[in-house]
Amino acid sequence: MSEECAIELRGVKKAWGDVVAVRNFDVQIRKGEFFSLLGPSGCGKTTTLRMIAGLEEPTDGSILLEGRDVSRVPAYRRNVHTVFQDYALFPHMTVRRNIWFPLKMRGISLADSQQRIARVLRLVNMEDYERRLPQQLSGGQRQRIALARSLVDEPAALLLDEPLGALDFKLRGAMQKVLKDIQRNVGITFIYVTHDQTEALTMSDRIAVMKGGRVHQIGTPDEIYSRPATAFVASFIGEMNFLHGRLLSAEGQGLRAKVGGHALRAARSTLGDSASPGEEVLVCVRTERVQVNSHRETEHEVEGTVRRIVYRGTDYEVTCSMEGQEVRAVVSSVDWNSSLTVDSKARLGFNSADITVFPRAEEQEIVQYTTEAV
Amino acid sequence: MGERRSPSRALLRGIPITVWMLVLVVVPLGYTFLTSFFQVEGLQIAAKLTLKNYALFLTDPMYSGILLKSLVLALAIAMLGILAGYPLAYMLCFRVRRGKQALFMLSIIPLWVSYLVRIIAWRTILGNKGVINSALTALGLIQEPLSFLLYNRFAIAVTLTYICIPFVFIPVYTALEKIPRNILEASSDLGAGELRTFLNVVLPLSLPGLITGFIFAFIIALGDYIIPQQLGGTQGIMFGNLIWSQFGFAFNWPFGAALSFILLAISVTILSLTSRFGTTEGGFISE
Repeated sequence: MSEECAIELRGVKKAWGDVVAVRNFDVQIRKGEFFSLLGPSGCGKTTTLRMIAGLEEPTDGSILLEGRDVSRVPAYRRNVHTVFQDYALFPHMTVRRNIWFPLKMRGISLADSQQRIARVLRLVNMEDYERRLPQQLSGGQRQRIALARSLVDEPAALLLDEPLGALDFKLRGAMQKVLKDIQRNVGITFIYVTHDQTEALTMSDRIAVMKGGRVHQIGTPDEIYSRPATAFVASFIGEMNFLHGRLLSAEGQGLRAKVGGHALRAARSTLGDSASPGEEVLVCVRTERVQVNSHRETEHEVEGTVRRIVYRGTDYEVTCSMEGQEVRAVVSSVDWNSSLTVDSKARLGFNSADITVFPRAEEQEIVQYTTEAV
Repeated sequence: MGERRSPSRALLRGIPITVWMLVLVVVPLGYTFLTSFFQVEGLQIAAKLTLKNYALFLTDPMYSGILLKSLVLALAIAMLGILAGYPLAYMLCFRVRRGKQALFMLSIIPLWVSYLVRIIAWRTILGNKGVINSALTALGLIQEPLSFLLYNRFAIAVTLTYICIPFVFIPVYTALEKIPRNILEASSDLGAGELRTFLNVVLPLSLPGLITGFIFAFIIALGDYIIPQQLGGTQGIMFGNLIWSQFGFAFNWPFGAALSFILLAISVTILSLTSRFGTTEGGFISE
C-alpha cells in the first residue's frame, strides 16, 4: 500500500439484522482526492460515509485512516469531519463559536485558534459573519460555515453528506464551484456523497457508483460515463438507450448483435466468455450518440418514426420508434432541422464505437423512468 | 380578506382571553390584595384600610424566620428534583432504545395517583414501623427504629422531591427530545466525547426545559402545606401552613391575605431572575 493512501476500506460490510446496507466495500482513496459515492437513495452511500466518520460501526471488514485501523475508534477520536446535509450547526453558538468548537476540543491555544478561525472564514468568504447565530444565515451561508467548521482543524479527510441537497438549483451550481476550489486550495481528501450524477461527474476525481449496498463501479468520471461496468451504471449516469437484441457472434473484431432486423456491431461488451450466439442481450447507445437525419456518415443506419419531440433549451429530445422499440436521440438546438415532426420518418444513425452490449439479466437493475412507470 | 385586519376584529379576538384573565386572575388576586389591608373586628372582616397586617409580619421574627426556612427548603427541593429528574430524562431520551414510550408513561404515572395516597405511602415507607425501619431491623442492622426519617424537614424534603420529579422530568425530556440528533453527532464528529458534548451542547440546549422544571418544582414546594402538615411534625411548619392556618383556624383572612402576597411577591422576584437564564443563547465556551 502506498503512503499516499488517506482512507482504505477493506471488505467493509454493514447490516442491521437481515438488512444489508453495504456489502464488501473495497477501495483505496488517495490523499487529496475528491472521491464521490454516487447512487440512488438507499444504496448505502450515506451508511458508508457514516462508517468512515465513526458514527456507525461496520459489521465486518476494516477501515484504515492514514494506514491506521480505526474500525473501532469512536467518532470523536477520528481525524475526519463530516459536513451534514442540514449543516448541524450548533444553534446556540455564534458562527465564531461554532468554528471554534473543534479547536477547543483539540486544546488548541486561543491565539492560534483566532488565526485559524480568521483564515478559514476568509477561505469560505464569510469574514463579516462571525457574530451571527446560525438562524440569522441563509442556507448557502450556513453551508459555508459548516464547511469552515469542518476544515478549521485540518482533518485528514472531509466527509460530505449531500451537502448541497437543500440548496436551490442555481445556488447549488455556484456552491459546487466553491467546494471544488476550496478542495483544490486546501488539498484535503474529500469524500462526497450525492445522488446527483452531474454533481459527481463535474466535481470528482473518482466515483464509486452504488446500488443496493453493492459497489457497481469505481472509476474516473470519464471511465464511468464512457465505459460503464454494468447496465445499472449505464442507466444511472447520463441518458442511455437500452435495446433488446440477440447475440449474433462474439468472435473477431468486436461482437455483433441483432436488433430487430438489423445487425449492429458493438465495440464494447461486458458479456463473459461463456456468451454464445442466440443469447438475449441489451444493446446500448447514449442518446447524444444517436444521429437523426444527419449528414454525418455512420456505420449503421436504421429507419424510424418520430413519436415525440421535447424542446429542452440547448437541445431537443426526439423519441422514435424503431422496429417496435423506443430510441431516444438528443439533437443540439444548433443542428436542429425543423423538418422533423411527430409521425414523420427519420433516419437514425449509430457508430459501433458508441455501442455497448450488456447481459439481458441486468435489465432489472436499470434505473429508467418510462412513460408507463410514471 | 384584506391585507390588514380591521381593528374591531382584533379587539373581538382579544375579548375571550381578557375576560378569562379578569375573572380567573385579576379579580381574585385584586380582591385578596385588597383584603390584606382590611382588619378583623370580632369575627367580622371590617373594610377599614390598615397596614397592621404587614407590620405584624415585619415585627414578629417568627414569620420571616419560617418564610426563610421555607424558601431554603423549596430551593433545595427544586435542586434535588432536578438532580433526580434530569438524569432520568437524559437516560430515557438518549440511552433507551426499546420501550421508550412505556418507560415515559411509567415516569409520569405518579401524577395519576392521588396526592394524598402518595403522601400516606411515604408515611408507610418512612415511619417507625415503616418499610425502611422494618427492613433494617429485620436485617439486624439497627435495634431501635431510626427516628430521623419521619416528622421533620427531612421527610418533607424527600416526599416533596418525589412529588416534583415528574414536573421536572416532563419539560426536561421535551427539551432533550427537541435537540436534533445530528447536532449531537456533529459534536462527536468534531472531537467532543460524551461529557463534553453534554456540557457544551446538550445542557445549554436543554436549559429552557431545565428552568421550567425548576420553576415548577420550586412553586410546588414553596406553596405546599399538606405534606408539612402530614409528615413534618412540630419543626416542619412551613410558610404554606402559616397562611392556611390564618384562613382555616384563626379566621384572620386579612393577615392570611397579607402573608399570601408577601409569598407571591418573593416567588415572582425569584422566578423572574431565574427565567432570565432560560434563553437558548449562550453556550458554554467563553470568549
